[in-house]
Amino acid sequence: MAAFVIRRILWMFLVLLALSIIVFTLMHAVPGGPFDQEKPLPEKTKEILAEKYNLNASVPEQYLSYMSDILVPRITYGKQPPSAAFDYLVTIPLPAMFGDQATIRWVNFGPTYKSRSRSVNDIFRDNLPISFQLGAFAVAIALAIGIPLGIISALKRNTVYDYMGMGVAVLGVSVPVIITAPVLQYIFAVQFKVVPVSGWGAPNQMILPAFALGFASSALIARLTRASLLQVLFEDYIRTARAKGLAERRVVIMHALKNSMIPVVTVLGPLFAALVTGTFVVETIFGIPGLGKFFVTSVTGRDYPVIMGTLLLYAFILILANLMVDVMYAWLDPRIRFD
Amino acid sequence: MNKGKYLGLVMVLAMTLTLIVGVSAQEMKVIHTGVGMVGGDPESIDPNLNEASQGNNIIRTMYIGLTTQDEETGDVVPGLATDWSQSEDGLTWTFNMIHDIPWAKYNADTDTVEQVMDEAGNPRYVTANDVVYSWKRVLDPATASTYAYVPAEFVVNGTAVMAGEASVDDLAVKAVDDYTFEITAPEAVGFATNIYGLWMVNPVPQWAIEECGDSWTEADCMPSYGPFVLKDWSHDESITVVKNPFWPGTDYVPQAQADEVVFHFLDPQTQFAEYQADTLDAINPPIEELDRIKSDAVLSQELSIGTNPCTYYIGINAEKPVVGESVHLRRALSYAVDRQSIVDNVTKGGQIPAQWFSRPGLNAAPTLETNPDLGAKFDVAKAQEELTLALDELGVASAADIPTITLAYNDSSGHAAIMQAIQQMWSTELGITVQLDPRDPSTYFSSLSEDAPQLYRSGWCQDYPDADNFLRGVFRSDSQQNDPNFVNADFDALVDEARLATDTEERRALYAQAEEILSVDQVGMIPIYWYTAVQMTKPYIERTYSVVNREAYENWNITQ
Repeated sequence: MAAFVIRRILWMFLVLLALSIIVFTLMHAVPGGPFDQEKPLPEKTKEILAEKYNLNASVPEQYLSYMSDILVPRITYGKQPPSAAFDYLVTIPLPAMFGDQATIRWVNFGPTYKSRSRSVNDIFRDNLPISFQLGAFAVAIALAIGIPLGIISALKRNTVYDYMGMGVAVLGVSVPVIITAPVLQYIFAVQFKVVPVSGWGAPNQMILPAFALGFASSALIARLTRASLLQVLFEDYIRTARAKGLAERRVVIMHALKNSMIPVVTVLGPLFAALVTGTFVVETIFGIPGLGKFFVTSVTGRDYPVIMGTLLLYAFILILANLMVDVMYAWLDPRIRFD
Repeated sequence: MNKGKYLGLVMVLAMTLTLIVGVSAQEMKVIHTGVGMVGGDPESIDPNLNEASQGNNIIRTMYIGLTTQDEETGDVVPGLATDWSQSEDGLTWTFNMIHDIPWAKYNADTDTVEQVMDEAGNPRYVTANDVVYSWKRVLDPATASTYAYVPAEFVVNGTAVMAGEASVDDLAVKAVDDYTFEITAPEAVGFATNIYGLWMVNPVPQWAIEECGDSWTEADCMPSYGPFVLKDWSHDESITVVKNPFWPGTDYVPQAQADEVVFHFLDPQTQFAEYQADTLDAINPPIEELDRIKSDAVLSQELSIGTNPCTYYIGINAEKPVVGESVHLRRALSYAVDRQSIVDNVTKGGQIPAQWFSRPGLNAAPTLETNPDLGAKFDVAKAQEELTLALDELGVASAADIPTITLAYNDSSGHAAIMQAIQQMWSTELGITVQLDPRDPSTYFSSLSEDAPQLYRSGWCQDYPDADNFLRGVFRSDSQQNDPNFVNADFDALVDEARLATDTEERRALYAQAEEILSVDQVGMIPIYWYTAVQMTKPYIERTYSVVNREAYENWNITQ
């Protein structure tokens, strides 16, 4: 198992490297640049900006310089200029014997063209934790609604409970969050004023957005749980368990449910990665300062370092989440081996 | 005896009551606003770097120029300068600044605004040196300020410094003494006082910028001197400014009445929901909701439609086939657009049908009162008359034989509906079929600069509030913004003359003549509408409404 995990992590770096090359090439191939705007800037100003952000170099050169800022640790001496362009995620001050204020600096995802005072690292520091909280909360809600709903529907299949449960699931799948979010907001925040309309920080500000996000995903989980559990309930070993005289609750929870979770866990990986890196619509509607909008605005604004940073982050979390899923498989079904 | 006892009790009660009332009267007055804030996190609140009206609204609370604009009339009034004088030749301006205005900063530990002291422990004051530093910093190519080209034209060597051909020390700016600032312009332009008050040349603190670098605009570093001081910047969420007790208040920019102003960066629909939940005090309502707001007895009372110094128009590339070949065709197209119907049925924000380019309300621009008949108006009879002449000019038998004309637009924020309405009008009134060409918004404007199509949707907002910025800035034959390749010697001569003229009415008359050439004689563009600022404000807010697209929050108060 350990060898498997290590191999997968090494693969992950290769995948990220390949992805970074593809994305970097594609985004520079798309017409338009970061400083095109309604009022065209004077040529001179554009030149100055291109110079400042190293946009005049060839694309391979720009790529190498970008990657080396992220990957290669450097040692600096003396006081560094306080600039968003010199913002490193890892800074380790060295003892005085190595030189004047010697510091190891590592991982710089670059500036954002849209804000002079912030860097991509700042966006990760400020906005990612918020999206992560919201996403994790939403996944928890999705599971808390989806799994019981699926179990009830499976156990009481073709009864009114099943139809109601699956009705809710169909609603969740088919009504997009761009509808549910403002409706929830209007009912609970504007009309009844039981929760704030927007914002982030207080627990009561998290309820509506997390519910709106989680509800849509819970529908998917409920349907998968139901289908999978139905299949498992007809397996021989379930019949054996019942024949041994185990209580029905124990049969379902200990024997059937665990084994029926494989399809659910499979979708959970990508779902988790998508939710914790931010969701544009929900964050916009609820005024949440998360990461979601940067996936969209960076592309429309051709903000190259932000495009790269957000996509690499998303890919990184997606691969890690899928790795977790694979490890979960082995626990859920001991027959699965990765050697 | 008993009486005395009761008297004591009553006195204690009365005192307690006074205390309670006293405390509640001291309650913090915090204004929550979303006006002009729908664009997300501001790109910058550094005066030298900001280029958007959003940042401008925030900067205006903390920084005041040498001159400033009266927000209700648009007039240039004293800001940080008490008075100024112009040299004989009209080139050199001398500004006398208010003495002893301290730099102030918010201290999060004590929750108070404090004066900033220098190394020696003396208060730092806003001086002419800060103004000089600001000019040098904004024009320095290393700063890469995107708006530097506006002030660059109004100081000797400005454009050369921007181009890297001269050093910032060659700029003709000088601190004669701590409170006297002198600047020399390459041309004697009367409205230069307006430029010298713009946000990008507001005094900025060299010591803070050198200490904190790019992040000097964060709350832990940014000092200011105006009616408010930065307290908090929660990125992508809000900016809070707090009253600066050290701003002395002037006749034109008084001390702030509210204790704090919080700017919230929200989507229009979310803003509106917050407003309805009574958590935002002033907003720009979403256009989709305007019908409902206008028909609602309460909400309609809180709605205000003011001016916004922008013009929406259709540009015509004079070098393109068909539209470039026939001035009569261009006139026919312009006369056939029913602007009133567009603002009533499509945009619905109370916009004003435009007859010419420069937005009325700008300094020296013609207005509907001074020049009611100027420019292009919807007139079917005239349109058809011009169409007949156009057919001769183009050598075709009927409108259906006119070769295809393309109308391009950036496919965002409701432009499609307006373009379709205009396409429909041309088809109905003239029988001309125009093809629509929706384009990717992110590359639309650069595509215009490279090669503008026959017809294209565009807009222009003021850089500085003078008709010069519109007419000379966009349509002079050598202007960099002249995408439509509009070339007319008379027009150029008129805008040049108006630029240097000093009497406002004389300038207005010259601009009116230029507008007549641009929108009627030559039809270099088709004006559609003049923008409005649609706002909603809670009844308990006492405020002024700005006509210059930057609110003066020091004049806002909560009355309840």
